[in-house]
Amino acid sequence: MTLSATQLSYSYRQGPAKAGRYARKTGPAEAGHYAGDFALRDISVSVAPGSLTGLLGPNGCGKTTLLKLLSGVLKPELGSVRLGEREMRLLSARAVAQQIAVVPQETHPAFDFTVMEMVLMGRHPHLGAFQLEGPSDLAIARESLIATGTAHLAGRAYMTLSGGEKQRVVIASALAQKPKVLLLDEPTASLDLGYQLEIAALLKQLNRERGVTMVLATHDLNLAASVCDTLVLVREGRVLMQGPTNDVLTSATVQQLYGVIADVTFHERAGHMTVIPVRRQ
Amino acid sequence: MAARTKKLIAAIAVLIACAISVSALQVRLKADTTTAQRGVGANARIVSLVPALTEMFFAIGAGPQVVGIGNFDNFPPEVKTLPRVGALLNPDTERILALRPTLVATYGSQTDLNEQFARAGIKTFVYRHGGISTIFQTMRDLGDATGHRAQADRVVRDLQARLDAVRTRVKGLQKPRVLLVIGRQPKALREIYVSGGQGFLHEMLEIAGGQNVFADVLRESVQPSQETLIARKPDIVIETHAEGMFQTSDVSGEQAVWSALSSLPAVRNRRVHVLIGQYLVVPGPRFAQATETLARTIHPEAFK
Amino acid sequence: MSDAISDAMRDTVALDNVAAVRPIRARLVATVAGFGAVTVAVCLLAPLVGSTQISLTRVFDRSIPFANNVDAQIFFIARLPRVLSGALVGAALAAAGVVFQALLRNPLATPFTLGVSAGASLGAMLVIILGVNIAAGSLPAVPLASLAGASIATAIVYWLATPYRRAMSTSVLLLAGVTLNSFFSALIMFVQYIADFSQAYRAARYLMGDLDIGSFDPLVAALPLVTVAFVAFATLPSALNMLSLGPDAAATRGVDVVRAQRLAFFSASLATSAAVSLAGPIGFVGIVVPHLVRLMVGVDHRIVLPASTLFGAAFLVVCDLAARTLLAPIEIPVGVVTAIIGGPFFLWLLVRRS
Repeated sequence: MTLSATQLSYSYRQGPAKAGRYARKTGPAEAGHYAGDFALRDISVSVAPGSLTGLLGPNGCGKTTLLKLLSGVLKPELGSVRLGEREMRLLSARAVAQQIAVVPQETHPAFDFTVMEMVLMGRHPHLGAFQLEGPSDLAIARESLIATGTAHLAGRAYMTLSGGEKQRVVIASALAQKPKVLLLDEPTASLDLGYQLEIAALLKQLNRERGVTMVLATHDLNLAASVCDTLVLVREGRVLMQGPTNDVLTSATVQQLYGVIADVTFHERAGHMTVIPVRRQ
Repeated sequence: MAARTKKLIAAIAVLIACAISVSALQVRLKADTTTAQRGVGANARIVSLVPALTEMFFAIGAGPQVVGIGNFDNFPPEVKTLPRVGALLNPDTERILALRPTLVATYGSQTDLNEQFARAGIKTFVYRHGGISTIFQTMRDLGDATGHRAQADRVVRDLQARLDAVRTRVKGLQKPRVLLVIGRQPKALREIYVSGGQGFLHEMLEIAGGQNVFADVLRESVQPSQETLIARKPDIVIETHAEGMFQTSDVSGEQAVWSALSSLPAVRNRRVHVLIGQYLVVPGPRFAQATETLARTIHPEAFK
Repeated sequence: MSDAISDAMRDTVALDNVAAVRPIRARLVATVAGFGAVTVAVCLLAPLVGSTQISLTRVFDRSIPFANNVDAQIFFIARLPRVLSGALVGAALAAAGVVFQALLRNPLATPFTLGVSAGASLGAMLVIILGVNIAAGSLPAVPLASLAGASIATAIVYWLATPYRRAMSTSVLLLAGVTLNSFFSALIMFVQYIADFSQAYRAARYLMGDLDIGSFDPLVAALPLVTVAFVAFATLPSALNMLSLGPDAAATRGVDVVRAQRLAFFSASLATSAAVSLAGPIGFVGIVVPHLVRLMVGVDHRIVLPASTLFGAAFLVVCDLAARTLLAPIEIPVGVVTAIIGGPFFLWLLVRRS
């Protein structure tokens, strides 16, 4: 099932902008907004089934916004997001959640849920209105825990886990949704090197063994290079370039994206492209 | 200038400002003391915050000297034109002082106010709440404070005579058990306050030939539960309210509320009385009239 | 044995041993049965106890006409409505507490945090002190005014906290509610200040809560409101679990966040409004009960909500029992009893946590 965005535009300003002292008239008005209001402008992205796509870009470029639009949490001002042939706007949150799961950067539950309870919450989109989890749901939850190597934590309180363990539990919770597409927002941002490699390996394994399509938003170039087969480079709300990793990730594009001079080479031992920053432009 | 020096200068400036304001206050108060020495008898200027004391001032002949009254004082009719200066919770000190009083009648709990007046050299008369003997003593003391002792004594004798008259009328008659309600929510039997076994209302009730069902609870005011009301089985229920929340136009409506407690003898025998009037609840010179009203209500046969 | 196989075995053993893996259906049934039994027992026994001795045989003796049967009158007019209103108010406040805590993502939220109770109290104050008489026919003025005040407060907070077409921000909701709370509380203080002595006392007494309703009428009037609130509550527990992860996390797990937040906000406000209009603002029930229940059954709202409802009912009935028997014939206001229990409870929680 292809997840695609067509001519997507989004603004965080609520309601139409008014032409006042503070409206930034940096272009013609569209949908009642001025061009400067848009976090994303005219983005078209297509995520092929089974692919591991990376959304790369500097802070504030709009990749988290794009991820939220792709997951249906935000509704676009202009353009559309489609899951297969169907417009996501027309689907209920439940219908979307049966196909798409999201792993956010951080998850802070307000109450002391156990790991098992967190993972079982992933079954919610598949349960009826007053239905409780049954044996099959428990089995799926167990399986997700095993797949992320967190089964031994099942009875522990989520808040007592380490950063890496927490992230793996959240991934298990997302897996329990049995999604066709998994969206991840900066999955390794708060993790140390060891956990970063662990999560990277886990994602690749899940993609390979279960065929889960993944979209990863990150600013970690090496993570993206190691994990993703497709990259979408985003800058200031627009797509700079998108395509296979080896083609898209070059010194020239890194310089365009980050304003940094870097060496981009294929590393034999690591088995993927690596980016070594040299200096600022 | 160095930061430390600036701070030092600021601190000194603040201290000087404080000292100036404190001494200004002292100067003002000292000025008022001189006026306070004068003003006894006909030259007295009286401010009263307490409704009962206001009524007493007028009853003992000190009415012409009253220059300011509390927010809730309504009797005698002459007070309606006088300036109002607050009450128990919100006395307006400035307004009171502006009236240049020589005597201020206050509540015992208004300790700050009383201290302020003491420092200003203004005499205060502190109101004490109590039974009928306290009412009489208060009137005598007011008489002393205002130079109207003789008239105060006359008023007291007159009131005592009226009370004796009531006692005579109801003497020998059987004393019914009476529930004396002094407050509740309008149109509902909730938040009911009744007179306990202490205080002037209880004593009035006993003189009027009634037996207080809550005589054993030694407090002036009791908030009984529904259960306690039912268990005490009063023969007569008398409600006394000042004008305001309970309208004289809807006495029967308020009486009807008691029909929910149908096991009370008072309800079964249709002896529920709702009486409205400020004279019923103020421990002042009109309490004898209130006692007469109570007696008429409890023993109508003795007044034919 | 290879590493992979021994890992798998360890995982399976760990999974099987975990209590949290016990199917939720069984846990829910056990919890409801357990708490339900306690609550029913408390509600059956409470009317039998009180400051006056009554005999149960006399209460149900049909041969004595009701108007003459003092024991029956005490049981059916004084005690039974009181116990039932305690159960209703306790259940409503405890459940509303659970819902607000999930909505605001804060275990320290109470049903009174967002100003609903302050609105209700202000309405009651206006009647008690200013004598504003809005009595509609035979319905008493104070509860009606309380309900009106609570509704106005709810509407203001909702309007302040709901952006156009998007989910409520919990921080804005909290800010709006706390601001309204302060504002109404200031108005209450002002109204009390201009009152005369007895009115001020009555106002202060109102704020301590009173379950002694004396007849079934106020209960019957409050019942439809509480029922509507609970029907809404019944659809919320799953959504509440997910809302407590945050609105985005809830949306990506299939929750219609805007709808769930609105439903939670209005139903919890309705339950609180009804409870406060019936019995005045009785504090601590809405925060002590959910916490105690979570200590006993975990944090899954599908269990916490029904358990808190039942436990809240029992809790308040017991507090009221203590209030009316400890110092008989003097009654302690029930709000004072809940506060005496609530304060030290939170101190203990705080100490335990550190």
